[in-house]
Amino acid sequence: MRIAGTSYTDSMINRLNNLTSQQYLLQSQISTGQRIQKPEDDPAGMARALSLQADTSAQTQYAQNISTLQTGANTAYNAMQQIKTISDRAGEIATLADGTKTPTELQAYATEVNQLIQQAVQLANTKNGDSYVFSGTKSNTPPFTTTTDANGNVTAVSYQGNTNVTQTEIAQGTTLSVGTPGENTAGAGPRGLLADSRYGADFFNHLISLQKDLASGNTSNIAKVDQPALLKDEDNLIYQIGNNGVVQSRLDSAATNASNLQSSLQQSFTKVVGVDMTKAITDLSQAQSTYQAALSSSSVLLKLQQSVMTYL
Amino acid sequence: MPGLFDTLSMATRAMQAQQIGVTITGQNLANVNNPAYARQRVNFQTSDPVPMAGGMQGTGVQVTGIQQIRDNLLDGQITDESSVGGYWTAAQTGLENTQTQLGQFLNGTSATDGTANSTGAQGLSTQLDNLFSAFQAVATDPTSLSQRQVLVSKAQSLASSFNQISSRLAGVNKDLNTSISNGVDSANQLLSDIAGLNADIAKTESATGSTANDLRDLRQQKLESLSQFTNFQTSTAANGSLTISIGGVDMVSGSKVAETLQAYDPGSGQLQIRAATAGTSLTLTGGSIAGALDTRDGALANLRTGLDSLASQVIGKVNSVYSAGYDLNGNTGANFFTGTNAATIGVNSNLSTDPSQVQAAGVAGSTGDNTVALSLAQLAQQNNAALGNQTFDGAYGKTVADLGNGLANANDQVANHASVSTMLAQQRDSVSGVSMEEELTNLMTFQKAYQASAQIISTVNLMLQTVVNMKTT
Repeated sequence: MRIAGTSYTDSMINRLNNLTSQQYLLQSQISTGQRIQKPEDDPAGMARALSLQADTSAQTQYAQNISTLQTGANTAYNAMQQIKTISDRAGEIATLADGTKTPTELQAYATEVNQLIQQAVQLANTKNGDSYVFSGTKSNTPPFTTTTDANGNVTAVSYQGNTNVTQTEIAQGTTLSVGTPGENTAGAGPRGLLADSRYGADFFNHLISLQKDLASGNTSNIAKVDQPALLKDEDNLIYQIGNNGVVQSRLDSAATNASNLQSSLQQSFTKVVGVDMTKAITDLSQAQSTYQAALSSSSVLLKLQQSVMTYL
Repeated sequence: MPGLFDTLSMATRAMQAQQIGVTITGQNLANVNNPAYARQRVNFQTSDPVPMAGGMQGTGVQVTGIQQIRDNLLDGQITDESSVGGYWTAAQTGLENTQTQLGQFLNGTSATDGTANSTGAQGLSTQLDNLFSAFQAVATDPTSLSQRQVLVSKAQSLASSFNQISSRLAGVNKDLNTSISNGVDSANQLLSDIAGLNADIAKTESATGSTANDLRDLRQQKLESLSQFTNFQTSTAANGSLTISIGGVDMVSGSKVAETLQAYDPGSGQLQIRAATAGTSLTLTGGSIAGALDTRDGALANLRTGLDSLASQVIGKVNSVYSAGYDLNGNTGANFFTGTNAATIGVNSNLSTDPSQVQAAGVAGSTGDNTVALSLAQLAQQNNAALGNQTFDGAYGKTVADLGNGLANANDQVANHASVSTMLAQQRDSVSGVSMEEELTNLMTFQKAYQASAQIISTVNLMLQTVVNMKTT
């Protein structure tokens, strides 16, 4: 083939351009660790990467949801534990207050029970952040309010919340509720913490009745009515604490799942987007040596061409 | 019978012929770096012989022509390939610009082990993910005002991303229209240049009877430039002038411009091409004008439609769930998003001043109820019939992948074109290009021949002196 004067320079420029853009591509792949940066690099891979990113972002959010729920469950657990202590003490008083106690002693117990009621109301009105934990979904309403008589004795505790609980997504398509309504007398729905008509639990009314019986010295009623009633409340509380433990362990395993999924999504992402470093670095050094070879061969050729004239 | 004087004039003619050879070699060497130039060759021929007693006697050499070494087939192929290149380069530029303005990149920071990190996300997909994560966060903590505030600000960034991308893509559309109309202007200028050259070539060639090499070089260069802008058909007339037709309409006929191209607005704001005088609409299939047109009406239009329908689905689906919800004050019925498409999407302006108005609850008066927020969060996983039964993310991913495919294809085509046109150019250079080695060797040949002819003259001169001196001795 006949080679024209411009052929050398044209093909040299083309070669060098190709090698430069090849080196540029490899260099940017190596420095970012990514094979795909722009949609044009691998359109299908880009779509896959975006979808993996959406999944990762969803998992991150689920992990945050779980941690928020864990805080809520912990707050509820602490309150429940303390209410359980109150319930224990009330049961103890009901047992101690038999016919052997003097009216003064019974009166002292009555005062203590009144305080226990107020403590329990305070605990049942526990807040997590801005929202009341045990008022169902009426989170801005304190669940329990008390009515007191002239002597400061609590005569009634009424529930202001509702029986709904919040369902939260902890994984795609899996919802969970950490909420417990303070009271459920509807006969259906989530079990009430302190009162539930299905299980005979009605903590505050039972405490008020105990307090009244202690004040009036009606020890037989304490033994026959109040004591068994308080036992049902105790059972209900134990169920709630156990249930809270179950929810917390579900949350823990959901958190583990979310973090496992996150790391496996990360791996998939790397597989789709990441560059094969060994190959890229080898390719780059190969491209560099080719580039240098092209440069030196070109300069030799150009010199050769010039020297044709000196030969003539 | 020819005498010594005839030999003298034969040698003179020979020297003149070699001199022309040297001149043409000089012309070739002068144009060694001119890509449009086709090397020229002097055609020598023996001049008419004279009958002699002993037979025909030669009278030396004469120059019959200066011929341009061109391969018309290769020229045609290069012209055609140049319109392919113009098309795909324009498409590539348009799509690259679109890709840049869309701004959907994976901008990972390389971890120490060299693996890509998925946290460095950019673009609309991240904004979309953030919105639904924020709905989740509100669902998890429905009474928290700060989560609502985060939601509103995430929604605002999504909306403004949509707005920005939409206006940037409208800018790309405008740029493509501008490049179409600039392309039409340049093509018209070239058509008129070619018509002028047709006239010059016809005139020169009929006057001198020889080929107007340099004018033809120039015309070929103009043709190649024209094919960058549009594809066309040519036919050559007997007098050497070219007829150029585009889409069946004659544009240049002989020395006159019969028609020009016109970029006109059919009312949609999207420029189309027609013949200016006849008004015939033209469908160009090659060249940068067609490349810009097809990119504008193809990949760019699809991307814009895709984003608009994504935005309108996000607005519609979110609002239909949201408007049934109740805010922290028990109010209901408001919309979350305003607007109808990517250009107009916005967030209900009351929300940024008062995030408690976010309607997250399913019933009035239950601030801790999250049913609406949860349903909103779950919209992210739902398939939408209007988006080809895909989720918001999936539909967006497909839109991005479509653009990527278009650009990747354009990149491949440009690379193909580059190697084809490089090969064609090499082939043409091997026929028409100037080789310095060859020219310098020719130069030497002409020089030696010139010297030899000069020797003839001095020999004849000596002989004539001998003849003249015969008388004096």
